Amino acid sequence: MGMESYQQGIKGEETAEKYLVQQGFEILERNFHSQQGEVDIVARDKDFLVFIEVKNYSFRSLGSPLSAVRKNKRESIIHAARTYLLKKGIKKTNCRFDVLTIYRGMDGSRRIEHFKNAFFCD
Amino acid sequence: MLVKINSAAILGLEAYRVEVEVDSSRGLPGQSIVGLPDAAVREARDRVRSAIENSGFEFPASYFTINLAPADTRKEGPLYDLPIALGMLMASEQISSQRLNGSIILGELSLDGSVRPVKGVLPICLALAKDHQQVMVSKGNADEAALVEGAVVMPVESLRQAADYLNGKIKIQPHRVDVASLFPPEPEFSLDFIDVKGQGHVKRALEVAAAGGHNLLMVGSPGSGKTMLARRLPTILPPLSIEEALEVTRLYSVTGLLNSKGVLITRRPFRSPHHTTSDIGIIGGGRVPRPGEVSLAHLGVLFLDEFPEFDRQVLEVLRQPLEEDKVTISRAHSSLTYPAQFMLVAAMNPCPCGRLYDQNLNCTCTPIQIQRYWRKLSEPLLDRIDIQLEVPRLKPDELSSLPEGETSKQIRQRVQAARRTQNQRFKGSGIYSNARMHPKQIREFCRLDKEAENILKSAIVHLKLSARAYDKVLKLARTLADLEDRPVICASHIAEATQYRTLDRNPSTSSG
Repeated sequence: MGMESYQQGIKGEETAEKYLVQQGFEILERNFHSQQGEVDIVARDKDFLVFIEVKNYSFRSLGSPLSAVRKNKRESIIHAARTYLLKKGIKKTNCRFDVLTIYRGMDGSRRIEHFKNAFFCD
Repeated sequence: MLVKINSAAILGLEAYRVEVEVDSSRGLPGQSIVGLPDAAVREARDRVRSAIENSGFEFPASYFTINLAPADTRKEGPLYDLPIALGMLMASEQISSQRLNGSIILGELSLDGSVRPVKGVLPICLALAKDHQQVMVSKGNADEAALVEGAVVMPVESLRQAADYLNGKIKIQPHRVDVASLFPPEPEFSLDFIDVKGQGHVKRALEVAAAGGHNLLMVGSPGSGKTMLARRLPTILPPLSIEEALEVTRLYSVTGLLNSKGVLITRRPFRSPHHTTSDIGIIGGGRVPRPGEVSLAHLGVLFLDEFPEFDRQVLEVLRQPLEEDKVTISRAHSSLTYPAQFMLVAAMNPCPCGRLYDQNLNCTCTPIQIQRYWRKLSEPLLDRIDIQLEVPRLKPDELSSLPEGETSKQIRQRVQAARRTQNQRFKGSGIYSNARMHPKQIREFCRLDKEAENILKSAIVHLKLSARAYDKVLKLARTLADLEDRPVICASHIAEATQYRTLDRNPSTSSG
């Protein structure tokens, strides 16, 4: 089970990456880790540096999939983003946090939803 | 990019301009609101985000610094939602700031992007409308804002509408209100003195109180109709003038009580707080002091039923407003003054069980109990109540046999005439009624004829009137003479006036 969902996660990120490239994003980093956080994908979308969280769904739970990115997760992503900016010495750049949800149906169909500017620092 | 939008804040009854500065900068997206915001202002960012997204705009991914200047006064409430949202949209260049023209903008945002009414719009417009080209408020506040002469009021229903207007996509007609048309030609009341059977002398006393602005204390057994009579007092008071109506409305506006009462308050307020109300509730207060019951009764009637049941503290704090027609409340943050010019009408039982003056029922109270009951009312407080009278319980046959009395309208006409006489008499002296005369004015205006003087002298001897009571009797006699439009006080006026000093004649009860 654990292995399976891990592989699904990897697969999902590959799907997401393909989708983002199609949308004109330039992928800069995958699975960037900081001490207290991680972010799935760092990419460039025109003027924006975008930190992207990828979420996989095999069934549609109640409520918005956005609500699955809870406070802890948000803080982890924000921490990773701050670390990224610091390490690369990036200043005065427009940044954004996006969430990408990938829904997999029983019949193997797939639907991707892209939430731009999904949340911000508190 | 930096955007500045004008808004306003309220301190007491006074309003001042607040500049909402919205600055967007690059970096991780987020917002900080500075300039001493309270919780409601800080929560604006969650409302603003939803409102912007649900109005079909994009929530900008920038770091926003929002400053409410001047930064050293506290900002309260949700009225900055709309200016903050518009500022963010301008800073992200989704709408243009060209047509802003220094407008004052206020409004709370709902999550769906509609604009909701806020408190205190009237005082804000009174203070700021003349120096600013226009005021943008929610539709619910439009009438209130338009009460101010010369104010150009732009009512908006939603964030989208406000944005479209600023983008020049739509035009909004300035909202206008005809203030005079809000006043009914003849004040209408659901209560009327004609409903009250008997109690002729109480009705008369209420008429005198209304005519001279005298405070009144009614002492009577339960069920004798004290409350019923007091509730009808506003129906015989002269109607509010436009300036007075604006003054009362302003107080209700800052307290947030306006929406349930219509746009402009055209009737004199009648407040009857319960006797468990605290001194802060009566006088006003709080961290940033808010008006209390005495101010909400401004230009109207404050009715205190079960007078001695109020906390002693509460009764004593009434003294300043009764004397000065205003209350000054000082707190760590600010010291504020609210007007509190009201008629005090108090009602009480003669003793804890209420049967003391009843001929048919036996009072079960001990003299000590009665004394303790009366001791709640201090001398200085009673000193400020000109008319004290007993209200007897009606007998069953009286209730059915007594003819109907006068209507409130008939009484009100006499009261208005007497008030007019007083207005002429006190013109320019800062006094507006007989009840507020100083000793100097009492000597000047309360001229007695020979017979009246004799009666007063014998009253002093026989009824043992004190010097304090002497002045009260003269003031009351002046009002009685005014009601008959007589320049000089006659014997009958003095005789009637002494009737209204029940407690002076019962020193056993009044001194406690």
